[in-house]
Amino acid sequence: MRHLTLTSIALCASVALILPATAATTKGPAAGKSVKIGVVADVTGGAGVYGTPQKNAYELASDDIKSGLIDAGGANVTFSVMDAASDGAQVANIVQGFTKDGTALMLGPTLSGEAKKADPIAVAANLPVLGTSTTAPGITTLGSCVYRNALSEEQVIPTTVKRTLAKWHYKKAAIIFGDDNAFTKTDGDVFAAELQASKVEVVATETYHQKDVDFQAQLTRIKDKKPDVLVVGALFPEGTKIIAQAVKLGLNVKMMGGNGLNSSQMYDVAGPGSAGVVVGAAWSIAGKYTGNASFVARYTKKFGTPPDQFAAQAYAAAQVVAALTKSGATTPKEMCDGMKSLPVAQTVLGPINFEPNRDVKSAPVILEVVKGGFTYFK
Amino acid sequence: MIVQQLANGVFLGAVYALFALGYTLVFGVLDILNLAHGAVFAVAAYLTWTLVAAGMPLPLAALVGILAGGVLGVILDRIAFAPLRKRNAGTLVPLISSIGFAIVVTGLMRGGYGIDERHFAESALPNAPLHLGPVTCTPLELTIFATAIVLMLALSWVMRATPLGRRIRAVAEDRTAAALLGIDLERTIAATFFLASALGGAAGILTALQYNSLTLEMGGRVELKGLAVIILGGMGSIPGAVIGGFALGIVETIAIAAGFSPWRDAIAFGVMFLVLVIRPTGIFGKRALRAA
Repeated sequence: MRHLTLTSIALCASVALILPATAATTKGPAAGKSVKIGVVADVTGGAGVYGTPQKNAYELASDDIKSGLIDAGGANVTFSVMDAASDGAQVANIVQGFTKDGTALMLGPTLSGEAKKADPIAVAANLPVLGTSTTAPGITTLGSCVYRNALSEEQVIPTTVKRTLAKWHYKKAAIIFGDDNAFTKTDGDVFAAELQASKVEVVATETYHQKDVDFQAQLTRIKDKKPDVLVVGALFPEGTKIIAQAVKLGLNVKMMGGNGLNSSQMYDVAGPGSAGVVVGAAWSIAGKYTGNASFVARYTKKFGTPPDQFAAQAYAAAQVVAALTKSGATTPKEMCDGMKSLPVAQTVLGPINFEPNRDVKSAPVILEVVKGGFTYFK
Repeated sequence: MIVQQLANGVFLGAVYALFALGYTLVFGVLDILNLAHGAVFAVAAYLTWTLVAAGMPLPLAALVGILAGGVLGVILDRIAFAPLRKRNAGTLVPLISSIGFAIVVTGLMRGGYGIDERHFAESALPNAPLHLGPVTCTPLELTIFATAIVLMLALSWVMRATPLGRRIRAVAEDRTAAALLGIDLERTIAATFFLASALGGAAGILTALQYNSLTLEMGGRVELKGLAVIILGGMGSIPGAVIGGFALGIVETIAIAAGFSPWRDAIAFGVMFLVLVIRPTGIFGKRALRAA
């Protein structure tokens, strides 16, 4: 009997994890009202690799709201996804449009550098903003209604350093980071500060430029300094090449990085040498939060490729939007007030709400690259 | 460390040189810059990747890619250059025409392949490190370097010792005189485009293999450096493109090795500027193709 009960509990728990949140759509104060959400994303251009999963996630979320998988309280939520084509001027034009067309909330833009141009335009027009991938410092200080559900690197990296130090006991570290991108530069700066605070000597600091493909000169210098650990402050395209080239050069050290390396394709692209690389991130494809497994399965089925963190954060933003409309928010002011007082929202990132400084309150996950994806770093 | 850094620079420079050879060949013959060379570079790489993904052995796929690059070069000439040549359109209009061709080709590739970066399967590439004295490299890098050198030597041989090379040099020297001597100008120019674009295609394939990366922007990334290389080496000079390519690769690497990684492009182009101030026609001077 005891065995049967435990089996039943395990079965129920498994089903709960695999199935999406299946609560039927309720009729809230916003039932029947139209709510337009403006999304600015880099679907094409250099940052298209991040903006495309975001666009996909909003498409899926839109389907899910219509079908009742996401409960938006009966509101007719539409996501108007505009492609900024990785062009700062285009981002500004799109946001200008959102300030005049009845948009209740802006989601995006894709990059932190773009947010620094776009968010002030929205702020000036009292249009609230929820960034889903803008992780550089200072983004939420751009306005009293600029929020983000993306964990900043400052929130993730301290945990990454603490956990790796406890297991690896390293004394000397080398850092390589992109110095012409807000995200990767933040990675380099925050890792350096955190390592120094942890009394780890930084024996080499090397930089590169976005879209570089050859990192062998920098890695040769790093190898010469004999570090115990290599910190890679990079987005996925450069990060995979840095790791592969480090391995090829015989730089046999532990490696770690930030959110930018969080792609389940890491092992396939960077090769077997990437096994064991530690990644501090906001989301795991194997995360056991309510609805995450279902989100991964349905996204993969719809788009033929598994979601990445950018998709997950976008989908979570749509879940936050649904929570807001469910509570009756339909106008920019109501959206802003709603985010301020948001009770914990259940999302594919886990339960989240916002800090008083408008950063997301959520726990980072520390992952380790293995063949086929990631496992939790223990 | 310095020996390893020099090796890094040589590996980097080999691809620059190979790319620049095609650039300089067309300039030497036609006095025009072919800014679609980067698009050919990318097309050959993507085609090779496609064939390998479909199960074709890498060497065969690379050969098909190189030949396809050459054919695309001939098509490029027929569409973007030949009609303007007939109208004596000067040098600026064909430059714009080649940019248009590159944009169209890149757009078609975007439609076919999407914007995501592509990679060869790691298992298809010989990437186990080799330790040759103080230098660590991979069999793939050695193969790429050797292939680049062989192709450069082959081009030099074609230009010096074959009837085609003599025809190309005659056309480069004086088109009217070459035509009066019975040389078929259009066929010779088409052959020049085939050779130049096959070399550009080879450079694209080798670059894609070296960094295991294919992107739609891969041609544009190397285009500016290729242009700098042929200016440094001397517009139209084959030895100049080779020396310039290796020089740029080594200077970039040494700049990083000396601890100036944020400044490496500025240093590389600064050195180039100094060379040009001292010798405005580049290392080997203009019009060296005729003497190739």
